[in-house]
Amino acid sequence: MNAYPEKLGAIIALFESLPEEEKRENLIAYSEQSKKHEPKPGETFDLEDVRKDEECTDTVGVFLRVDAEKRARFRITLGPQVQTLTKAMTAILCKGLDGSTLDEIMELPADFVPKIVGGQLVRIRSQTVYYILTRMKSASKVFLNRLRAAQL
Amino acid sequence: MSETTYAYAHPEALVSTEWLAAHLDEPDTRIVESNEDVLLYSTGHIPGAVHIDWREDLQDALVRDYIQPEAFAALCARHGIGPDTTVIFYGDKSNWWACYALWAFRLFGHTKVKILDGGRDKWVKEGRAMTKEKPLSMAAEYPVPAKRFDADIRAFYDDALAQSQEGLPLIDVRSPGEFKGEVTHMPEYPQEGVLRGGHIPGAHSVPWKTAVKDDATFKSPTELFQIYSFGCRLKSDDDIIAYCRIGERSSHTWFVLTYLLGYEKVRNYDGSWTEWGNRVQAPIERST
Repeated sequence: MNAYPEKLGAIIALFESLPEEEKRENLIAYSEQSKKHEPKPGETFDLEDVRKDEECTDTVGVFLRVDAEKRARFRITLGPQVQTLTKAMTAILCKGLDGSTLDEIMELPADFVPKIVGGQLVRIRSQTVYYILTRMKSASKVFLNRLRAAQL
Repeated sequence: MSETTYAYAHPEALVSTEWLAAHLDEPDTRIVESNEDVLLYSTGHIPGAVHIDWREDLQDALVRDYIQPEAFAALCARHGIGPDTTVIFYGDKSNWWACYALWAFRLFGHTKVKILDGGRDKWVKEGRAMTKEKPLSMAAEYPVPAKRFDADIRAFYDDALAQSQEGLPLIDVRSPGEFKGEVTHMPEYPQEGVLRGGHIPGAHSVPWKTAVKDDATFKSPTELFQIYSFGCRLKSDDDIIAYCRIGERSSHTWFVLTYLLGYEKVRNYDGSWTEWGNRVQAPIERST
């Protein structure tokens, strides 16, 4: 059994206990919170990565702040065409990975996504549910590489 | 020399956002939202609208095909749609899936169908009423259609092959890169399992988007005539097949050709490139 970061593990456990209809309701609720995870005025970041990839329907900005213990806090901006499931995963991951170490994020397997989203919603055109996690890992990797390079 | 102007062949097949806002409680009418974004309806929808999902509701869960008439009758009945109900479709993505759902309704002989011009995006941008409340259950009776009208408006691989071999009109509505064979999926979308890129030999490239304006409403009849009738040299009695990758974008073009330009023999090849581009020995053309 995979050990997920504690906050994310609690979210996964909640979703796993829910029937499909309630899963969807919770996903909607999370999607509506995605704007709360945008950068706040005055916040500064160690890494900013704003881009439009083919894998997602609109621009996504990933903003990473890392403390002395290499614990991460993410802020995310989403373009208006981003799908509802991607918005939901943004809020879930920002909340669930808040305070996780960069190593924990790098090692996080993606197998929890279907547990949250539910089998019916994981379909070909909803592959962007994995996209935000990929972008968070990518930002973490870049930051760690910069850190290692600075230490040489 | 004066310019010829045209009118939509079936203007009654379109309703404007203004009209719909004033007729939300129109009798014998049902509003249906159909989207690519599977959760979008639940985040808010036009008051009174029901949700029909292109995959869960319209497609067979096992075989790559549409539901059977019994399931269609049950779908309509539970959404309060009777055989005489006028169904107004709208959705995201400039109405791709709304047109797809409309086309699927036509497969079962339901002809009282309309599209909300501009779709969901225009309705939302205009700040019109939205709700999360699902409409109260309004069960209706829908007799099981005697058959599915596949032969009239749906094309299969063999039909598309014959069309290609006979030099009859084939319209490829995918992006230019997909048509040329440079990519096997449209920009911003995952690869949906296509092994070869290119297009059906002889097909005209007319991306679906050329039929709409920036606000997702359809272009004027004159502009559409220029694009399709003049640009593709379509004659009024032509037998036309449109295709894309899985049949949703080509539903949009099917609607334009059938309802707005009035072509009477238009079929949607829903197998489209995910069938053709994987089919062993299917002829493929590439262009630069």
